[in-house]
Amino acid sequence: MKVRRTYDLLLLAALAVSALLFLVPQFFFVRQSFYESIGMGLTGDVLTLANYVKILTDRFYLEAFGRTLALSGVATGAGLLLALPTAYCLARLRSGVLRWLVVLLLISSFVSIVVKVLGLTLLLGSNGPIPALLRILTGGLWSASLLYNGSAVVIGLVQYTLPLLVMLLFGVIQNIPRSLEEAALVHGASDWRLVKRVLLPLALPGLLTAALISFNMNMGAFTSAVLLGGGNVLTIPVLIQRKIILEVDYPAAAALSVLLTAAVILINLLALVIHPRGRRSVQIEAAA
Amino acid sequence: MKEMRSNVVLIAIAFCAYAFLLLPLVVVVGASFDGGAQAYFRFPPQVISLRWYAELPAKYWSSLTLSFAIALAAGTAAVLIGTVAALGIARGSARGNATLETYFRFPLQVPFVVTGIVFLQFYYLLLDTFGLRLLGTFWGYVIAHTFFCIPYAVGAVGSVIARDLDKTENAARVAGATELRVFYRVTLPALKPGLFAGFFFAFIVSFGDVPVSVFLATGGRVPLPVEIFQTLQFDFDPRVLAISTIVVILSSGFIVVMQRWVGLDLVLPSSGISR
Repeated sequence: MKVRRTYDLLLLAALAVSALLFLVPQFFFVRQSFYESIGMGLTGDVLTLANYVKILTDRFYLEAFGRTLALSGVATGAGLLLALPTAYCLARLRSGVLRWLVVLLLISSFVSIVVKVLGLTLLLGSNGPIPALLRILTGGLWSASLLYNGSAVVIGLVQYTLPLLVMLLFGVIQNIPRSLEEAALVHGASDWRLVKRVLLPLALPGLLTAALISFNMNMGAFTSAVLLGGGNVLTIPVLIQRKIILEVDYPAAAALSVLLTAAVILINLLALVIHPRGRRSVQIEAAA
Repeated sequence: MKEMRSNVVLIAIAFCAYAFLLLPLVVVVGASFDGGAQAYFRFPPQVISLRWYAELPAKYWSSLTLSFAIALAAGTAAVLIGTVAALGIARGSARGNATLETYFRFPLQVPFVVTGIVFLQFYYLLLDTFGLRLLGTFWGYVIAHTFFCIPYAVGAVGSVIARDLDKTENAARVAGATELRVFYRVTLPALKPGLFAGFFFAFIVSFGDVPVSVFLATGGRVPLPVEIFQTLQFDFDPRVLAISTIVVILSSGFIVVMQRWVGLDLVLPSSGISR
């Protein structure tokens, strides 16, 4: 059929352009991780696994991998705990208020994470209102800094992914018919039972997709790790930035990047294997 | 209508989420009017003045324009490529091929920081081999941003290609419409919400990006988020509060105008919010 052929040609064109964007730069990049750095940003010409061996046998890097995974996992969990009830409230709201709540959400998602991190440093910094409040509440006992540690980084990561999470879950919950909820409640189900037996199972595929998107974003983010971690929280993205900017060791940065990407892809695959139903939620990602 | 009894708890959590999202923006706006702040930022403001706005350097304005232009160009490029790809997957011989869908979502699996250095290295290579200079240039940013914007466009457009769209198209053909007319009058209007949503999300991700652009800014023009990032990392300058406030105000204005003119349906599909 003539029309089908036109669409095939379109697909070929898209594949050609995306191959230039997706595959060519990645190829040269991955290749570089197999050469040794000879300083000054130059690379040797002997193929070697040395960069990988160095990273995988060094406690420092392995701990950094663990730290990155832990912070991303905690931030994803915390984000979901905040986003699910919020998305539920929005999805079940029927009034003019909803429009303005969505407007606020979109404004928050429109403003760059650096501006939000700037706001967080004002709020959490030693002269800021939140430590002052804590000092009053604890009668002056509170003196620990809220900035430049792991929890500050988690707060920054949640700030980074929360608007997107709420938007994704809003669509997911909107697709669950309200009548199912009412049916469960009319038949005497408790709230907890309703959530556990009706809402969560129906939302699960979309929930999984949203969780993975947010997890992937957290694994590659370094704005909050650099600015809110203040050099105390060394995650893999922070180390990659240091290798590039301070040490000009491109092969090591490339090897770290390949391992980080591999870890992310592995975790995504694992999640889909554990929960094959998640595969069907591909379309929900559309809203992402 | 029967509702959950724990609604109060849910509403309380939602309130906290909103406070958490909006408080940082509020304090940035507030602190930008504090003329007394010198080497550090503080909130609440003590000396109200417009000092940081008056002293706003020109580089912040050109960074803001650059960021806007990059997001516009990368969003448009991503929607073009994404639409072609989504249509090709849905309507060609490889109908609904899952491998192809996964392939076009590949950039979502690459951590942003990695995307940044992949393109840094690639641009060095192009400079060495062809003398083509992309680092720190408008097109350099646009190409890298298009990479991570494509999945959003493919996903958004793919989700609005309804199963019975080809039936409507065939009906138009039977009625004697030319192929071009079918595309403009049937296919394109059906795709419109997806095009808008895809562009909107691509624009947001590109406009706020730090981890990719920060590596591409070597010795050239710098987008605003990277400019702010570098100021925060290396030398405190209260004037970033003023330009950040301007970003917050412009974004708010844009969203409010958009919901007035086109409604929110287009960016939040299935939201059911009419104008």
